[in-house]
Amino acid sequence: MPPKQVQLTVQNISKSFAGKGGDVNVLDDLSFTINERDFVSIIGPSGCGKTTIFNIIAGLLEPDGGTITYRGKEIESLRGRVGYMMQKDLLFPWRTVMGNVLLGLETRGVDQKEAEEKAREYLKQFGLAGFENAYPKTLSGGMRQRVALIRTLIMDPDILLLDEPFSALDYQTRLYLEGVLKDAVQKFNKTVILVTHDIDEAVALSKRVVVLSGRPARVKVVHEIDIEATSPITARNDVKFSTYFKTLCAELDIQTETTS
Amino acid sequence: MSLVMSGTSARKKTAPRKSRKKRSTFDTTLGRAVLQLLAVAVFFALWEAGVHAGFISAFLMGSPSGIFATFYKLILSGELLSDSWYTLFEAILGFIIGTIFGSLFGLALWYSVFVAKLVEPFIVAINSVPKIALAPIVVLWFGTGLISKVALAVSLTALVALIAAYQAAKDADVDLQSLMISMGADKHQVFWKAVVPSTLPSIIATFRINIGFGLVGAVVGEFISSQRGLGHMIFLASSLYDLNSVWVGLFTLMILGFVLYYVIDIIERTSLPWKQATTSHQVQV
Repeated sequence: MPPKQVQLTVQNISKSFAGKGGDVNVLDDLSFTINERDFVSIIGPSGCGKTTIFNIIAGLLEPDGGTITYRGKEIESLRGRVGYMMQKDLLFPWRTVMGNVLLGLETRGVDQKEAEEKAREYLKQFGLAGFENAYPKTLSGGMRQRVALIRTLIMDPDILLLDEPFSALDYQTRLYLEGVLKDAVQKFNKTVILVTHDIDEAVALSKRVVVLSGRPARVKVVHEIDIEATSPITARNDVKFSTYFKTLCAELDIQTETTS
Repeated sequence: MSLVMSGTSARKKTAPRKSRKKRSTFDTTLGRAVLQLLAVAVFFALWEAGVHAGFISAFLMGSPSGIFATFYKLILSGELLSDSWYTLFEAILGFIIGTIFGSLFGLALWYSVFVAKLVEPFIVAINSVPKIALAPIVVLWFGTGLISKVALAVSLTALVALIAAYQAAKDADVDLQSLMISMGADKHQVFWKAVVPSTLPSIIATFRINIGFGLVGAVVGEFISSQRGLGHMIFLASSLYDLNSVWVGLFTLMILGFVLYYVIDIIERTSLPWKQATTSHQVQV
């Protein structure tokens, strides 16, 4: 294996929001690193500020303190260079599938013809050829999320920020899309940060899992996931899978054995 | 126990379905139209009978036969048509100008929260003035011709459009805007690609209200001072106690409003195909 190179460093990030009873400290002195072509899952108790981290990296929020370093250079944020996917597919209802896929390229000012050609190629690859002119409302949840994934990938972002992208889908669709995601990430050489509350998903997809503590969020522990599997489904059958699963459950203080 | 209860409720549920099936001969577009026309015919027949029997004063109320005679006469002379066109033109022009300017201004307020907060009380204040009260000044400013009526219609429609557009822009999905910003879009791109399209349903919904306000503006303007139009015709006829002509004017206005309403309906359905996809989906469920 080649030596791991650090792509993104988040250092001493802090952020608080004004709440009813004074300021709420969501992130306090949070630091972690993401390697080139990494697949990192961030898990933690709900409401611990996982989405806030993403919003800061994506440039939607300004941190109160701390630095972000990208490939050795200190930057404000990765705005315009990240692919952000959320639980809601956030497809524009007034745009067709094609229009939605083109959204990012349009804002970038890419030539219309060139962009459409590229979009058609992507749609075909993800099994959505023939749906170019369909409106999002007429598609199933899985198809909509696939369109959102294409919209993200076609921008060729440096890092994919996935904020529980599959949690609103049923289990079968989720398994399928996990596979689609993993293939796409490998094919397009992408770095992924995935926020999830699904330990099972985190272990099956990631190379590393970062466990956060409750609010204010700090990194509790980082686990390397050493499973060589071709797909998220075979990963679940790996002998080491259940060990990782149990360890992570313990980290999150979820009881796996019934105690009397 | 529960079995018995569910049995009764099931029977109750089927009962109204049966009776609906019985009525279904009239529950079609044609059937409903027949019933509706019948109601209108009965209304006019009772009115006419009342006038003949002396219960209803033809002098104060007019009579259907007189109304139809006057209608026929005014159609033949071409007066009714030219008056209708004039009023319709004023109303539509006022509606278009008011809606466009109002919507644009309301949307533009999205750009600056500061300016929006600054002008909000003024908008509320202006909106709380009954715009009809402006009619005399509008005639002083813009004369007795076409422009004063259009101006009045604009004053009525613009604020409705402005408030609806501003509210819709404020309510536009923040997540869609965030997504665009994370893609590197600037404020103009967010405005044109995320905000404006999401406000269109609300703006188009104001068309329905505003086309009515356009007619109100035109007719009230004609009441105050004019030489033409349906408002002028009604005003003149009522001062001469020519009730039949008044009714002809009123019924013509009703027909105009009715037609405009359905034109708007068609515009609404064809201009937002993505909304259409939604509704048909929901109907199937």
